Amino acid sequence: MILSPAERSYLYDSLSVQPPVRPDARSAHQFRPIEASCSFLPNSNGSSRVRLSDGGEAIVSVKTQVVLTKNESSLISIDVDINKERDDSNFIKNLISSLESILLKKFPIEKLKLTERYSFKVYIDCFILSHNSYPLGLLSLCIYLALKSTRLPLLTSTVNDREIEEQPTFNDDWEASKKLFEPSEHQDDPPLLFVVGIIGNNVFIDPSNEEEEVSENGLIVGFANGEIVPPVQSTNLSNRDSKGISPKHILKAYSMVRNCGKEVVKALNTVVSSDDDVFTSIY
Amino acid sequence: MEVYSPEGLRADGRRWNEVRNFKCHINTHQNSSDGSSYVEMGNTKVVCLVSGPMESPSSGRKPNSSSNLTVSISMPSFVSNSRKKFKKNDKRIQELCIFLVKTFEQIVIMKNYPRTIISISIVVLSQDGGLLPSCVNAITLALIDAGISMYDYVSSINVGLYDTTPLLDLNHLEENDLSFLTLGVVGKSEKISLLLLEDKLSLDNLEKLLAIGIVGCHRIRDIMDQEIRRHGNLRLSKITNK
Amino acid sequence: MDVISIIRPKVTGYDEEDSDVEMSDVEVNLDKDSGLKTDVVTPGELVTDDPIWMRGHGTYFLNEKTYSAVAGSILKVNRLLSVIPLRGRYQPETGDHIIGRIKEVGHKRWKVDIGGKQDAVLMLGSVNLPGGVLRRKSESDELQMRNFLKEGDLLNAEVQSLFQDGAASLHTRSLKYGKLRNGYFVKVPSSLIVRSKNHSHQLPGNISIILGVNGYIWISKNVSSNFDSTNSKTNKHEAKLVNHGKEYNPGQGTLSIPKLEESSWEIYSDKNDPDISESIRSTIARYVNCIKCLSHCEIGITEQRIVTAYEASMAYENAGSLIDVEVMENIGSDVINGEKMRGNG
Repeated sequence: MILSPAERSYLYDSLSVQPPVRPDARSAHQFRPIEASCSFLPNSNGSSRVRLSDGGEAIVSVKTQVVLTKNESSLISIDVDINKERDDSNFIKNLISSLESILLKKFPIEKLKLTERYSFKVYIDCFILSHNSYPLGLLSLCIYLALKSTRLPLLTSTVNDREIEEQPTFNDDWEASKKLFEPSEHQDDPPLLFVVGIIGNNVFIDPSNEEEEVSENGLIVGFANGEIVPPVQSTNLSNRDSKGISPKHILKAYSMVRNCGKEVVKALNTVVSSDDDVFTSIY
Repeated sequence: MEVYSPEGLRADGRRWNEVRNFKCHINTHQNSSDGSSYVEMGNTKVVCLVSGPMESPSSGRKPNSSSNLTVSISMPSFVSNSRKKFKKNDKRIQELCIFLVKTFEQIVIMKNYPRTIISISIVVLSQDGGLLPSCVNAITLALIDAGISMYDYVSSINVGLYDTTPLLDLNHLEENDLSFLTLGVVGKSEKISLLLLEDKLSLDNLEKLLAIGIVGCHRIRDIMDQEIRRHGNLRLSKITNK
Repeated sequence: MDVISIIRPKVTGYDEEDSDVEMSDVEVNLDKDSGLKTDVVTPGELVTDDPIWMRGHGTYFLNEKTYSAVAGSILKVNRLLSVIPLRGRYQPETGDHIIGRIKEVGHKRWKVDIGGKQDAVLMLGSVNLPGGVLRRKSESDELQMRNFLKEGDLLNAEVQSLFQDGAASLHTRSLKYGKLRNGYFVKVPSSLIVRSKNHSHQLPGNISIILGVNGYIWISKNVSSNFDSTNSKTNKHEAKLVNHGKEYNPGQGTLSIPKLEESSWEIYSDKNDPDISESIRSTIARYVNCIKCLSHCEIGITEQRIVTAYEASMAYENAGSLIDVEVMENIGSDVINGEKMRGNG
């Protein structure tokens, strides 16, 4: 995105006053509205689509496979693909590494354990149809919804198979399937990542493309089960020189994410529960 | 599982001349493209985004002989059951793209768009047979949504042959088992603008397949036309009474 | 605390379950005088077989018959018949007041993105240069084109003429055209902007707006009154600094008309007015959201409607809530109902 010097300084000045005047009048802790739906891919255990008001859009599929636990280094595999972009670009690598840094650590792995010897392996495949702002926040929301809508077949064989040489068997009836994240147990929700922009003394959540352009710095903050979790990493949202982050910024971002995070989780959970009837329409 | 039972039913319960549930919408991505569409043929689901006509990035240099219309197809890894990753230069996908470019170069009134490019991007969300027909139908709709001049609709469907019975609109299992052809038809005419046959097929049966295929294409065209008119009249009513 | 609003995908117009009506059952609405359809026509549809019509945009001619090439409505101007597509990129016309962004600086010309099929061209000869309107363009002007307008700069201009292939040639030879400052840029579909006599307006709250015919909109602080002579002097110095670094002396050799020269350099300044208050910034943001409301509801955008939407938006104290889809639709219907009540609906 190219801005003229006049636009740039207007935006920068607006975002540095107290409180910041964001170009769409959002409060510092307010997200752009999103459009979301779940469970529309017939060949996946879970799926979701999230679209931002600026046209940015991602689709995430969750597929599972039964594996011998001892053969796998990790039970979670994340892949990101961007429409019309090379698979091996640094941009994609960065996205994957940010997502892995939280999902591999903060995913309640015990949920995937099937029997003494076998586990589900979860494949999270993300596809970004289009994006304007840095798509990490978008992807994180989308992954959350996909995981929450994921259904697994019901195990019918015994859990204790340490002694017996048999593969796990499942109930054929999809009606009998179980949710990977049962709505009742909110203790172990999937983790989320939030992007925070920094200008002057101000921090603001979910920066738009033009806000990123004039940002002096960015922070990526993890959130799970009502608390800030690692990773917390700084990032360059624009190509401008970074001006450095002060501890003040980090504390502000912390408290903002902690407050918003709960609201976001609540809103996302409503989407999942209203999409419980399987295979709704996408558009 | 039988492909076609003696009672005349296919594995998914359709008769020989029945198409799968066909659903389409236009203008689904107004903030990220000039024209967009979403098409569902049974469990095959595709999104099409059109950008342009727009200044070609290589302008200034001599316009090269290659087309001003480009098609790309993205197959995210979740499309297939095996999570096979399709490379952007996958040979099969490249073939389909070339095929689609050739078809739509003839349908878009390209002389109205000198020195500009039209870039078409297809994203496959779910694949259960009839990939090429879904792409054709989605591109037709998205081009119309973008306001790009074209001579007529192109609608497309595939037809397979079971013994001597033609089966319309094959799903993935049927495609694997049967010889089939894909055809695209111009508007309400019987003009075939696209034909793809990659299996062996006896010549005596060809006419039969084409006949039912053309009927199927016309049916698809009508549904698409209905969607365009529904959407258009809604839009028009907003403009005129305001 | 409003943190995030999530909506479900919704295809408009499917509320009534009558979409199963077969096409043949639908009554076709015809125009009384010409016998042409008033409903939407789609590609490949016969528009007329009457040979008296001339064929315009959006149609094609085959075997003595005129067909539609796009989905849209039929428009007739005298004997000229065209089909206006429902959507599509901006089609420039001579005299259009537009906003564009410089994309490329070339040989004696700028390429300008105006949201059309092709980039527009702004010739060096079609702009006012520092040193007076009547000054000849020299080679040194050619070498410092980037000092006037560079990549990314926004300007407003008029379409001077069209090239054979439909591309536009622009000019900024009037004080109301030129570089844009002190505000914010919004983009809407060009089909929502109605061509009218005047496209720049003053809005309540000390705000100026330019509604480019191409759908590019500029909302800014109204500064026209601030240009008294002392102010322009300081601005001039700033402009000098921004534009040239150190050595260049603006308008060398044209000291005979200093007044003109001064105002001329100002028009290429990149500096915003130093005191744009927070309340002006908030007002601009609110107007931006009002325009997005109109655009979301696909309501044609006029000065009057922006003002009506702005007034309606005051029901929401926090302008940030105007980005919710539900609120946007409320504002949209407020505007429409307001017009109906006043009897110009």
